Amino acid sequence: MGLGALALVGGLLVAADHIDAPSAMGTTADIADFYAFEPTEGSDNTVFAVDLQSNVLPDLAYGTFDENVLLEINIDTDNDLVEDLVIQAIPRDGKMYFFGPIAPSETGLNGTIMVDAPLGSVDISAETAIVESTGNGVSLFAGPRQDAFFFDFFQFNKVIGGTAPLGFKPAGDPNSTDDDDETAVDTFDGANTMSIVVELPNSLLGTTTGQNVLGLEVYKTWVTTNVKQ
Amino acid sequence: MKYKNIKYTFLSLLAVAALASCSDDDDNTPVVITPTCDDGIMNGDETGVDCGGTCTPCEEAMEPDAPDFTGIYAQVDFMGRPGINTVLSADGDIKDLHNMSIPSEMEATFQAAFEIRLEAYHDVYANILGADPDAVNYEANILGDILNGPMDDGYTNNPVSATVLTTVLANDVLEVAPNLPTTYFNGGSGAPNYDGAVGLTGRTPEDDVIDVSLILLFGGGDGARFSGQDTDDDGMADLPRLTSDGVGLTATLGTTFPYLGAPE
Repeated sequence: MGLGALALVGGLLVAADHIDAPSAMGTTADIADFYAFEPTEGSDNTVFAVDLQSNVLPDLAYGTFDENVLLEINIDTDNDLVEDLVIQAIPRDGKMYFFGPIAPSETGLNGTIMVDAPLGSVDISAETAIVESTGNGVSLFAGPRQDAFFFDFFQFNKVIGGTAPLGFKPAGDPNSTDDDDETAVDTFDGANTMSIVVELPNSLLGTTTGQNVLGLEVYKTWVTTNVKQ
Repeated sequence: MKYKNIKYTFLSLLAVAALASCSDDDDNTPVVITPTCDDGIMNGDETGVDCGGTCTPCEEAMEPDAPDFTGIYAQVDFMGRPGINTVLSADGDIKDLHNMSIPSEMEATFQAAFEIRLEAYHDVYANILGADPDAVNYEANILGDILNGPMDDGYTNNPVSATVLTTVLANDVLEVAPNLPTTYFNGGSGAPNYDGAVGLTGRTPEDDVIDVSLILLFGGGDGARFSGQDTDDDGMADLPRLTSDGVGLTATLGTTFPYLGAPE
């Protein structure tokens, strides 16, 4: 797929990795979004949520986790931008299996499933969420969810294309149907995505020497999808 | 008894004995068969029914449903912070390369290209405004105030130059703090002192990451450089609105795990 594929979706550019770059775009391995947060103030847990695929536009892959696609959450705890721990998730026959957090057998672009470090498994949900809670304080979920991302994606395309002299539109009434074309519209309103969510105690991740630009103590994280060779 | 009768009686007895020995032969000699791996009998050198020995090992035969987690998996997509590849990678080839990169190599690969892209966005608006693109450039953003306190002199000493900003963004990781509230970015009291400002401690689904990104890319020294200002008081905007896209959260979220709303 090259730039011609972008033309097929009306020349739209991509946003927050939604409807990704040409090679990943619209495939079952397409990462739409990534969140990492503490669930309540003062919690000793961290939540990682990864959205794969999106139905924001027709003809994008959506609705089924692919058994050839391994999801990997990478965590750097010593500030060198190399993963010290991974949490992996892969579907098999209607269940999502999780592994880690554990030092991966190899870092970088290739990897294997850390079968000696199972974290748990959960039945893949339909509309109603099935949650698995394990004995060590871990919660697991895999299934379709609302895509929470919000952006006036179509206006962004005009802005960077130089056809919007006034830039973005002002906010409209969020309760209106907003057909007036004068106020901003969330392109992702009503879109769904395939989500994998894991909540775990920070004790399973350990301490970190990483710092952000404000000098605050952080884990440095990123998510990848990986296809079986 | 006459002799003739005894003879017939003896022959009868022999006949009966012969018949009896024929039936005895059918009952007493077992049928000989050759053991196979699918005869439903544990025989031959098998260690279980139709498995083991020269047949399929019994472990495999008894666990046909164990998932297969073998194999090597190669990276095809990547994400750290929201919008980085989207906004700062200029074309499909760079986007594809970014999706197959690792963070420890990203600064060297992408920082210069990201800085060129940041300036190119400013040139787009210079052209729209009828201004000289060389005169409309990235202006050091509010992160400098937060890091170093407010500047009085137009931010000439502000360290968050285009080079510094794109260096931070090229190292594309999503930071999450184990021991702090999650805030993608919050300007605190705002200009000029930004008291209480904090950021880059994680990302919740509610965080307006687009507005944050727009402010840091286009907001300049007070975060509002291009905000649709009416500079000549004629009731019409003269500068474009680039520091907010005008939308907030529309999805429903949950207060309990998994925190994301049911599909629509």
